[in-house]
Amino acid sequence: MWFTSVYLKTLRDFRIAILGWGAGIGLLIYAVLIAVPSLVTTAQARAYLIETAVLFKWIAEPIQVATPGGYATWKYGFTILVMALWPLLVASRMLRGEEERGTLDVLLAVPRGRARVALEKVAAMWTALLAMGLIIGLLAFAGGASVHANFGLGGGLIFGLNLALICGVFGSIALLIAQFTRERSVAAGMTGGLLLLCIVLDMLHRVFPSTEWLSRLSPIYYYNLSKPLIPSYGVNPGALLVLVALNVGLSGAALGLFVRRDVGDVVALPGWLRLPERAPQPARALPVNAWSLRSVYTRGLATVALPTLWWTVGIAGFAGWMVVIAKQTENILPGLIAGSPLLKGIFTKVGGGAATTNATLLSFLFVLMPLVLMAFAVTQASRWASDEENGRQELVLATPQTRLTVVLARFGAVATATVLIGVVTLAATALATAITGLKLDGGHLAAATLSIIPLGLLIAALGYLLAGWLRTAVDTGLLSFLLVLWFFITFVGPELNWPAGVLRLSALYYYGTPLLNGLPVGDTLAVLVVAAAALALAAARFVRKDIAR
Amino acid sequence: MANIIETRDLTKSYGRNRGIQAVTFAVTEGEVFGFLGPNGAGKTTTMRVLMGLLHADAGSATIGGLDVWAQRTAVKRLVGYLPGELALDPNLTGAQILAYLGNLRGGVDPAFVKQLCDRLGLDTSKRFREYSRGNKQKVGLVQAFMHRPRLLILDEPTSGLDPLNQQEFYALVGEVRADGRTVFLSSHVLPEVEHTCDRVGIIRAGQLVAVNQISALRDLKHHEVVITFPATAQPAWFSDVANASDVARNSDDHSIHLTVQGDLTSVIQIAAQHGATNIEAREPSLEEVFLRYYANDGQAAQKTEEASHVVH
Repeated sequence: MWFTSVYLKTLRDFRIAILGWGAGIGLLIYAVLIAVPSLVTTAQARAYLIETAVLFKWIAEPIQVATPGGYATWKYGFTILVMALWPLLVASRMLRGEEERGTLDVLLAVPRGRARVALEKVAAMWTALLAMGLIIGLLAFAGGASVHANFGLGGGLIFGLNLALICGVFGSIALLIAQFTRERSVAAGMTGGLLLLCIVLDMLHRVFPSTEWLSRLSPIYYYNLSKPLIPSYGVNPGALLVLVALNVGLSGAALGLFVRRDVGDVVALPGWLRLPERAPQPARALPVNAWSLRSVYTRGLATVALPTLWWTVGIAGFAGWMVVIAKQTENILPGLIAGSPLLKGIFTKVGGGAATTNATLLSFLFVLMPLVLMAFAVTQASRWASDEENGRQELVLATPQTRLTVVLARFGAVATATVLIGVVTLAATALATAITGLKLDGGHLAAATLSIIPLGLLIAALGYLLAGWLRTAVDTGLLSFLLVLWFFITFVGPELNWPAGVLRLSALYYYGTPLLNGLPVGDTLAVLVVAAAALALAAARFVRKDIAR
Repeated sequence: MANIIETRDLTKSYGRNRGIQAVTFAVTEGEVFGFLGPNGAGKTTTMRVLMGLLHADAGSATIGGLDVWAQRTAVKRLVGYLPGELALDPNLTGAQILAYLGNLRGGVDPAFVKQLCDRLGLDTSKRFREYSRGNKQKVGLVQAFMHRPRLLILDEPTSGLDPLNQQEFYALVGEVRADGRTVFLSSHVLPEVEHTCDRVGIIRAGQLVAVNQISALRDLKHHEVVITFPATAQPAWFSDVANASDVARNSDDHSIHLTVQGDLTSVIQIAAQHGATNIEAREPSLEEVFLRYYANDGQAAQKTEEASHVVH
């Protein structure tokens, strides 16, 4: 049955993702919903929670945050959008990726229209998203029901539908962009950048007055107009329709372009949008002195250069943005801290102390920074694994370079990029503090930005290690899972009063609170030692293993 | 001449029915050795073991006296390698790829690289992803030849090349041989093997079934013989000829068809005794010999057994 149509075959390919993402996000919401009553056991705690939510309204609009539905909607306002990564990757791989691999030629050789083949694939992606939404909706309902939340099955299901729709929009954007790029990774990267931009655009109007018009440019704004887990706020049918229209319009445009263009080619952009074309160059002497072609290390650097640029802009920009947020809340923070044991408690556990300075808030926010750097490291570890899987190591290893040289040189390039990101982040935050006038200890700021580097190296080394045994998809999946796990241990654990032993399971724990307390030398060294050990094992494995094809 | 490649009981298995089993052969320095076999027979596995990309489960293999696994870096100084499936950075131009791999080899003669590119008609200014299949193969060939290696290991080297470039490739192989260097190549194209190789090894289902001179392999082949007589012919006349088989009378009753392995003298003598008026003996092509080894039936096993004495 599953092989009777392109639609069913594609849907079959998504079955693990449907279960994984659906159950993963659904269980997260479930866990959060059932934990809410323990956070608001007294009227005072309830009041503090509401105050805290106001302070963090940039995350999401705080509405009825003392209810399970309101709390979940606010707390995971943008975090839940991590699910958009799935359609983003799938849609960029769907047509462009198959064209890259040459598999689409075979599929289009069957007597079926090109539009139908593409439509069946897109329909399978939408079906998968709806199935994920259904699982998430059911688990949200189950979580809500277990704590007698004030939303019902309908609210849960529309919550899942709303999430599926916004994720579908980013899948459709990726599909459209992929019609203009020669590589799926470029389309995925650009859409990922747009996702971040849209999140920030949506946040703007909650931080800066009179910027709602800008936020309206972001599809996430329309996603947030519906809050089905808060019955009094309800659903905005118009916003849902906007999301449906964006899905249909963007995917329709992508399919229209795909049907008209040559397979394997791209849609030509208007002249004013096109990059200047490289004039055809006559065959000339080999560029043996080009810096990037001199060694495996320099080649690795050249390969990682462009992604490093974008990730540096993202991470350093994020750190600078956090400084601005901290400055904005500077005046109200001490009062809130003083009157809110809950907030004080969270800051004590995550932010690193009860200090009523803006450094406390910044320290709390800075915990996200190593997480983002580790996400960069995951992409680079994934590249290492895929290079071997795609046979790109074959000819390099046919030269008289030792395998140890190859693995260490490639890791060295990633390590260089990681260090660069840390240093630029330090410069960006130092500049932001100078511009905003925020008072921070220079040494602690350097520690906070530079000590993200060992964590980046740790995840990269673990990725290299796992690549010794696992295929790229599994390696990347495991690393991503590890990151998500660490994220929730660090961010949800303290709130739920998890024991210290559990919190120590997250690598983020060892980042500490350097902005407040300086570099945790012992922990940082421990992370470096583990990273070095993982790299040594990865190298030992690579030296001995069969090279995959 | 010394052996440049030596394998003994080389075994590599991964998964059911995959890999090679107890493969033993030697390639002499200065010869062109062809490695024949159907898809999945173990040709690529053998080559990847020789390149130190796979670790053999058992047995040994040396190149230039060096162990292909323990001393693989030194081995690679001697070897130029073309993999069966060429995968390179799609964003680099042909020139950049050749410069990069040349640098990793400690430098190559740019004039010789240019000469190779010119001979194969390779435009090195294009990005790898823009190349056609044939042009990608040319990049692979140039990088394998460009450092004038002592040994070339080439997996399906003419795959994707047009006839003109195939001829140029044969010429390159001839020059390597004339230079006293060695080529170890795999191929499905039998005329190519007949044309370029001195010796050939045939591998089937992971086992080497024959290794010998191209000419000797032809001797192994059977002759299809048709003998015409003036009167009704009797198949029984040939029943005592040890190397004759499949004896049958044709529908015209006057001619007999038979298969003869090796020497034809006995058959000719008996035919003469019965006043044969015509004898036709057809020499089969290497392709027919090849197909005989790979025929997937009970007969193949018998033929394999017949061939086994040739291996050693």
